[in-house]
Amino acid sequence: MNAIYALYSDPGSAQNAFDALRRAGAALGVDAGKIVVVTSEPFEGYEFAAEHAKTHMFPLAALGGLMGGSFGYWLTSFTQTSYPLTTGGMPIITSWTNGIIIYELTMLGAILTTLITLLISAGLPNFKPALSDPEIWTGKILVGVTDPPPAARTELEAKLRQAGALAVKEFPPPSAAA
Amino acid sequence: MKQNEEQVQQDLLRPLFEASAAYWLAVALAGSVVLAGVCALFYQFYTGIGVWGLNSPVFWAFDITNFVFWIGISHAGTLISAILRLANATWRRPVTRCAEAITVFALSIGALIPLCHLGRPWLFYYLIPYPSERQLWPNFRSPLAWDFFAIFTYLVGSTTFLLLPMIPDLAMVRDRATGLRRKLYGWAALGWQGTPRQWHRLETAMHIMAIVIIPVAVSVHTIVSWDFAMTPVPMWRSTIFGPYFVCGAIFSGIAALILAMALLRKSLRLEEYLKPMHFSNLGKLLLTFSLLWFYFTFAERLTTWYGNEEAEMAVFWSTIRGDFAPLFWTMVTLNFLIPVPILAIKKLRTITGTVVASSCIVVGMWLERFLIVVPSLQRKFLPYSWGSYRPTWVEITLMAAGFGVMALLYLVFSKLVPMIAIWELKVGMQEAPAAKFGDAAVAASSRPRGTPGGPVITDASS
Amino acid sequence: MPHHWAMVVDMDRCTGCEACVVACHAENNIPTVGDDQASRGRAMHWIRVERHWEGEFPEARLRFQPVFCQQCEAAPCEPVCPTYASYHTADGLNAQVYNRCIGTRFCANACPYNVRFFNFFNPVWQKPLQLQLNPDVSVRSVGMMEKCTFCVQRIRSAEGQAKAEKRELMDGEIKPACVQSCSPMALVFGDLDDPNSEVSRLAKSNRSVKLLGELGTQPNVSYLQGS
Repeated sequence: MNAIYALYSDPGSAQNAFDALRRAGAALGVDAGKIVVVTSEPFEGYEFAAEHAKTHMFPLAALGGLMGGSFGYWLTSFTQTSYPLTTGGMPIITSWTNGIIIYELTMLGAILTTLITLLISAGLPNFKPALSDPEIWTGKILVGVTDPPPAARTELEAKLRQAGALAVKEFPPPSAAA
Repeated sequence: MKQNEEQVQQDLLRPLFEASAAYWLAVALAGSVVLAGVCALFYQFYTGIGVWGLNSPVFWAFDITNFVFWIGISHAGTLISAILRLANATWRRPVTRCAEAITVFALSIGALIPLCHLGRPWLFYYLIPYPSERQLWPNFRSPLAWDFFAIFTYLVGSTTFLLLPMIPDLAMVRDRATGLRRKLYGWAALGWQGTPRQWHRLETAMHIMAIVIIPVAVSVHTIVSWDFAMTPVPMWRSTIFGPYFVCGAIFSGIAALILAMALLRKSLRLEEYLKPMHFSNLGKLLLTFSLLWFYFTFAERLTTWYGNEEAEMAVFWSTIRGDFAPLFWTMVTLNFLIPVPILAIKKLRTITGTVVASSCIVVGMWLERFLIVVPSLQRKFLPYSWGSYRPTWVEITLMAAGFGVMALLYLVFSKLVPMIAIWELKVGMQEAPAAKFGDAAVAASSRPRGTPGGPVITDASS
Repeated sequence: MPHHWAMVVDMDRCTGCEACVVACHAENNIPTVGDDQASRGRAMHWIRVERHWEGEFPEARLRFQPVFCQQCEAAPCEPVCPTYASYHTADGLNAQVYNRCIGTRFCANACPYNVRFFNFFNPVWQKPLQLQLNPDVSVRSVGMMEKCTFCVQRIRSAEGQAKAEKRELMDGEIKPACVQSCSPMALVFGDLDDPNSEVSRLAKSNRSVKLLGELGTQPNVSYLQGS
C-alpha cells in the first residue's frame, strides 16, 4: 500500500482538499473509497468527517442485552431445577432474585456487544501498515489518496497544494539514505 | 492554536518519559505497605481467620467494611464521567481519565476482598457458575452471588470505559516513542489510525457505554447493600439501604476523585489543566451529596427511633450514646458538619477547601460503613450472646495494604498513560465549524464543542 | 412415611446442669477452643444454656433456657449461603454441608439466634483425646461453619436400622445426645408428623411459644414457658 498525502493546519482547508479530491476523482482514476483522512481528534460538523456516520451499534447493543438476559434466565431457572434445594421456605425457582441475575447479564451482554462491534467496525486490531504521519499529533489533518494511479500523481499533488497544504508527502516515506 | 496543542501534548506526555526521585520514593513506600499486606495475607491463609478479631456474633467487621468502602469509592469515576458525558458538561474533559482509573483500581481492590475474607479461600471458585463435577451450581438467591455478577459486570464495563478512550492516546505515545516502548505501545494501541470512521465508532461506543454503565453502577452498590438488608439483623433489615448506599458511594467517590486530582495536579504539574473551576464544580456536587447523605441518615434513624422496636433500639442507642457514640458523632462531623460550610461558601470552595472537605469525607464514609456493620452484629436479638469486636494487627495491615495497592496502581498508571485524555481535551479546544450560507461564510463561533445542534457543512459549490 | 423432626424444651424442668452441652461436644466432635479464644467470644457450644435472672434479691429467680439451632422452616441462614452449604431437607432439618462451605460467614450473621459457629482455627485435640472422636461425625477443619444438626447421624442411623428391619420408627427411638443426657427430661425430640408423638402433644400445649417467633423464621423448636 502506498499513498500520496498532505497535511493541513485547520479543518477548513482539509475540507477543501477533500472536496477537490472528490471532484477530481473519476477523472484521475481515484474513487471515493481511496480518499483517506487521518486526524488526532474527532471533528464534528465537517463533511470529511461525516462519512460512515450511520451505524447499527445501538440496536446491536440492545440485541446483545437481550441475548445476555436470555442467558441469565436460562442459567438461573435451569440450574435451580437441575439440583433443587429448598432454602428459607422460598420456592425452587425464585423469580424476584433471578431477575437480578438476568438484569446484570443483560447489561453485560450490551457492554460486550458494544465492545465487539467497536473492534470489528473500527477494524481493530490492525497491525498492517496504515497511512499515518506523526505530525497529526500536533493537530495537523492528513488528507490523502491510497494507491493512486502513477499517471495521476502530479495532478493530485497539485490539487493538494492548491487547497493549502503545509506539506505534501509520500507514504511509505522514502527510506532515509545514508 | 497549534502552539497551544503542542504545549498540551508536551505537558501531558512529559510524565511518561520522566520520573523524579520523589516518584520512586512514593513507589517504594506504597510497595512496602503492599508487601506487608501480602505477608499478612499469607499468614492468614495459612493459619485461619482466627488471626483477625472476629468472633461470635461479630462475623464480619473490617473485611466487609473495607469491601463496601472500596466498592463505594469505585463509583467515582464511571458515574462522573458517564453522567457528565451524557449531560454534555464539557468541564469534565480533563477529569474523566483520573476518575475512570480510580473506578477500575478501587473496584479491583474491592473485588479481591471477598475472596480474601473467605474461611476457605482456595475454594473461591465454588462461586463461579460452571458445570462442576458436583453437579451443583451457586445459589442465585444469595446476595453474595448477586455481588459476583454485579461486580464482574461493573468491572468489565468500567475497564472498557477506561481503555476505549485510551486507545488514541496510546497511539500518540506509540508514534512519539522509540524502540521497545514503541513496540509495546503499538500493541496496546491496536493499530489505531484515526480515520473519521474509527473516531465515530469510538465516540458512539463511549456514548452507549455511558448509558449502560449508569444503571450498572447503581445496581452494584444496591446489591452490596443487600448483603445487609436481606438478613433479619436489627438495623440491617432496612428498605432504604439500596438508595442510601448508592448515595454514600457516589459521595465517597467524588471525594476520592478530588483528592486524586489534587495530588496529580501537584505532582505532575497539571495546574493549567486541572483548574480551580474543576474543583469548585466537583465541590458543588460533593455538597449536594453531603446534604443527600445527611437526609438518608436522618430518615433512617428517625424511622428507627419512632418505631421503638426493642432489638433495633439497642443498636440505635449503642451508636447514638453508647460504645460507638464517639465514632458516630465523629462521622457526622466529618461527613456533614465540616464539609457543608466549606463547600457551600464560594470563597471557601477553593482547591484547598475541597481537599480538606474530601479528606474528612473519605474518613467519615469509612466510619459510616464500619458503623453499619459492627454495632448491629454486636447487638443482635438475644442479649446473652451479644459480643464485642476489636481489630487485630492483621486486619489493620490488610486495610493499609488496600490503600497501598491503590497508590501503587495509580503511580504506575500515571507513568504509562497520560492522566488527562489528550484527544478529549483537544476536542474541547476546537472551534465550531464556520457556517456557510450560499457563498458567504459566517465567522466561526468559538462556542465550545459539544453544544448540540452544530451546523452541518455542505459544499454549496459542488 | 415422611418425618418432620422437631424438639420441645420444657423450661420448668431445665435445672441448668449443662449435661446437654457436654454430651453435644462429645457426640459431635466439637473442639474446645481454650480459655483465651473463649474469652474472645469464639467458644463453640452448639447448645448453650442461657441464664436469665428475674426479680431482685430476696425474690430473685434464675431461669435457664437451652438455645440451639431452631431448624427454622423459613431459615434466614439458608438463602444467603452462596454455595448451598445451608439448605432445608425434606424432613424439616436445616442441613449444614461441610464440603460446600467456603466460610463466607453470611449465614452466621443472618441467624437471629446466634447458633452458628465458625472454625477460626484448625481444631486441635491433644493426645490421647483424639481417640474419643465419634467416627459417625466428620471432624471439621478451619474455615467452616457448623451448628446443631439434631444429631442427624443418629437420625439417619435409626432410619436405616428401621428400614433394614422393615418397620416404622417408634417415638422416642431417636434421641439426640442432648436429649439422651438430660436427666430432668426437659428436652424432647420427635416427629411432628406423627400425631401420637410426645413432641406433637407438647408442642400443642398452651405453654408453648417459639423463640423470636415474631421474626417469621418458623422454628421447629417449641419452648414450654416456665410457671
